Amino acid sequence: MPFLLIAALLLLAAGAALGFAFGWGAPLGEALFRYDPALLNTAQAGIQRHLSPALWDEAALPLLERPSWLVPFVLGALLLLLYGLLAARRRRRPAVGG
Amino acid sequence: MLVRRNPGWTIPEREVTPESSFFGRRAALAAGLAGTGLVLPPSRAGATGLPVAMRNPRYKAERAITPEREATTYNNYYEFGSHKTISAAAQKLPLRPWTVRVEGMVERPAEFGLDDLLRRLPIEERVYRHRCVEAWAMVVPWTGFQLSELLKLAGPLGSAKYVRFETAAVPAVMPGLRQSWYPWPYVEGCTIAEAANELSFMVVGAYGKPLPPQNGGPVRMHFPWKYGFKSGKSIVRIVLTDQKPVSFWEKIQPQEYGFWANVNPAVPHPRWSQATERMLGTDERVPTQLFNGYGEFVAGLYEGLQRERLWA
Repeated sequence: MPFLLIAALLLLAAGAALGFAFGWGAPLGEALFRYDPALLNTAQAGIQRHLSPALWDEAALPLLERPSWLVPFVLGALLLLLYGLLAARRRRRPAVGG
Repeated sequence: MLVRRNPGWTIPEREVTPESSFFGRRAALAAGLAGTGLVLPPSRAGATGLPVAMRNPRYKAERAITPEREATTYNNYYEFGSHKTISAAAQKLPLRPWTVRVEGMVERPAEFGLDDLLRRLPIEERVYRHRCVEAWAMVVPWTGFQLSELLKLAGPLGSAKYVRFETAAVPAVMPGLRQSWYPWPYVEGCTIAEAANELSFMVVGAYGKPLPPQNGGPVRMHFPWKYGFKSGKSIVRIVLTDQKPVSFWEKIQPQEYGFWANVNPAVPHPRWSQATERMLGTDERVPTQLFNGYGEFVAGLYEGLQRERLWA
């Protein structure tokens, strides 16, 4: 359980850091390109040549076009929500053995 | 009863010469003459919208010509994707009207319509070897004109040291341009001496037909002694400059793709050997040659430049 909370907070922090570092409108692809210019080219070649051209165009590229902060922020928010749901369920669980 | 008497000049429909044979008769005639050694076989270009182009015998590939289907369906054109099967997507690129702007350090900057260039410049066919940096190769009969002929129209100034080539950037049909973080448009470059070399060829056709978009149509560069990525496709702008152009790939992966990129089997790519190459069509592995076998034409360009990174 604490693992979920830590991961969620880390992702939210990463989203904020990306937003501050690269600008709130900069796409995720641009952030990754600025971190390592060869990274996305290598990933694209691997995906399009060995898996499927459409997987890059239809799945990876739409993600990379989103603002850099958005993807980690959404993932972090989802994990936070999951953590909250699990915590609430645990509180509702009846005590046993009394 | 109707009695039909055919006049003497009528012939049955089955004996009518097919349209393709009729329009191809000049080529067939020339091909026949070629057999006698009188002329070289022209490309079929005259029947397909290109000027008739005679094959220049000075440039010998000394390898079998790659089947057209292989050369036109296995392509690198990053604007359309990083895979080899971009040919269908590339058909969306509009090839007319097409202009090439020549500017920078020239006496007469101008924008030339491609069809105008085809009328004004001497068109010929050359069979060139093409060596990709990825260690595959092909041999193609290209139709086109010497780059130096185009540059002459603009009049290069003595101060020009380099030539920069820009590829078309058409976001509506090029999905690669969605990757806004890359330094589009695709840019390549060479020295003014390389541009003036007789091998530097602007290609407008292949296999006697207009150059298809997946191969860089309607007009591309071809430097046959360099790795293929140096030969920009779908060229729209040529700039003569005194600044060394920084190419598209040089900006992204400078440790792997440099300015010179001359073919050399003894200098491996950081991730693979360049000693041999796979021929498209046969998959045969053949030894790679220094300057892709064109050393007699270009080795002199690099005398005194040993300190440069000539092979990447």
